[in-house]
Amino acid sequence: MNKKIIYSLVGLALIFFITSLLIFLKSNSELPDGDETLRPPAQTGEEILQPDPITLKLFFYTRGSRYMKPVTHELVPPTIRAELYRLLIDLLLAGRENYITPVPKGVGLRTLYFVEKSGLLVLDFSEELVHTFPAGTSSELEFIYFMVNNLCYNFKEIKKVKFLVAGNSMKILTGHINMEHPFYPDFRYILDK
Amino acid sequence: MKIFKTNIWLLSILLVLFTQLPIHSLTIDVRSFDHQGFTRVVLEGDASFKYDFQELGKSLKIKIDDRVNPTDSLKNLEASHLIESVSQSTRKGKSEFDIRFKSSYSVQRHFVLERPYRLVFDVAEGGGPSRGNQVEVVEESPQVPEEEEPPQRQRESRNKKVVIETICIDPGHGGNDLGALGSTQVSEKDITLAVGKKLRRMIESKLGLRVIMTREEDLEVSLDSRVALANNQKAQLFVSIHVNGSFRKSARGPETFFVSLQATDPESMALAQKENEALGDIGEIAENDDLKLILWNMAQTEYIKESSKLAEFIQNELNVLLNTINRGVKQAPFRVLMRASMPAVLIEVAFLSNPREEKKLTDDAFLDKVANSIYNGIAKFIYYQNNLFN
Repeated sequence: MNKKIIYSLVGLALIFFITSLLIFLKSNSELPDGDETLRPPAQTGEEILQPDPITLKLFFYTRGSRYMKPVTHELVPPTIRAELYRLLIDLLLAGRENYITPVPKGVGLRTLYFVEKSGLLVLDFSEELVHTFPAGTSSELEFIYFMVNNLCYNFKEIKKVKFLVAGNSMKILTGHINMEHPFYPDFRYILDK
Repeated sequence: MKIFKTNIWLLSILLVLFTQLPIHSLTIDVRSFDHQGFTRVVLEGDASFKYDFQELGKSLKIKIDDRVNPTDSLKNLEASHLIESVSQSTRKGKSEFDIRFKSSYSVQRHFVLERPYRLVFDVAEGGGPSRGNQVEVVEESPQVPEEEEPPQRQRESRNKKVVIETICIDPGHGGNDLGALGSTQVSEKDITLAVGKKLRRMIESKLGLRVIMTREEDLEVSLDSRVALANNQKAQLFVSIHVNGSFRKSARGPETFFVSLQATDPESMALAQKENEALGDIGEIAENDDLKLILWNMAQTEYIKESSKLAEFIQNELNVLLNTINRGVKQAPFRVLMRASMPAVLIEVAFLSNPREEKKLTDDAFLDKVANSIYNGIAKFIYYQNNLFN
């Protein structure tokens, strides 16, 4: 009698364990959108592009205006899309003569990821970004929308941009803007003429 | 022995009852200040008191159910443009304040604030319809929406009037967090604290409201702790003070921010619309559902309209002070504002990265003016808010 009860209980426990395991595995395979940066991107932007020359429109700040103004740049794109994104960011970091680049000197891009499904581009900058960034709400907004607007303007598949530093998400840059969420473009900061 | 024990018990009970007898006399400080459209009279007691009042011609008689000690503060009342004289009398253990006005008047509203106990009258010139006898239901604290509460219920609860009695001032940065730095190494954290303290004094003395500060000295306080303090203390306004910095040295002028989906700066709106049209579908990104979801999850979402109005009032005052072209009220996802369960704004007073404005920011008299402008903006918002519900 006792043995029967024990066997039944062990059986029930086993069924419960297997069911729980299945539910756990299923839930892990369906991460919500907010966690998409935690998993390997479905699309890393590694498809081959046609090597035709393209014209990028880069937006930089000028001394006398609070709006970014366009500068055109022609180039032969690299064969990998992710490399094209990196090239644009390198052009932004390098700056232009007579224009203002709202990024501290010495800051570099470590890596980037693109998630095609949601149009999210994740930019991972070097630690210098937080160590050398001049504090101020305006300087933070200038940096954020310098990057986001340039990327989203030139590449329509990019819908939003998230910033990382040294591989880590950050809450704030210098004490103002919430950096936890991705940023959408805000074209109020640019003058397209 | 048994009788002795009984007597001891009786004596103790009598002693306890004796201590409960109202044998104290009350001290009430009276103050007033003029504001656009009304004069506010505040009676601040060292304890709560029962009162009644009567409007008789040009006189307002406030009867207190206690003996009130004579106070020198009555003299200050006569500085008001509306008040002619104030007298205090005591008869049969009850006191009365008689406030005589220079012309006919009407009590627009009266209410009680706690901690400390204050009886407040807002009096307007002219014999219009008096609403003084409509005793308002003053909520001791605002309806703070609970996280689990459905949005619809939150909106319904917020239709009730919230009387502003506590304001949280947040001087930005502090401690090791210097904030923006000027070329002369003047730091943002010192300027924000100086302005915050000046603003506190003005609000307390002129509006008679309770002020809490997120920091009163050179301390590093996390952004989340700042807003948690305001939420826990049930502040009805949150004002974060900052000094700006930009990569562009020419950037100048004050800016007031709130958290919102929509910009209220017409120039920016027009520009955004133009750009969006030129860019086709890309301009519709701001309507993205998950952006709305982020904003919906913010505590601040419920207060965007009020925050926008508060920002507008403060920005207008700062524009006049700094003689700047309106840089406009702006929106941005400020971490310190997102979790505020009350109207909340962040003020960037001026640019430390601009040499001219840096010089101004090191002048204490200029900081007085800045605090006064912010105070005026807050006072106008309170007046606007009160009229909205009257």
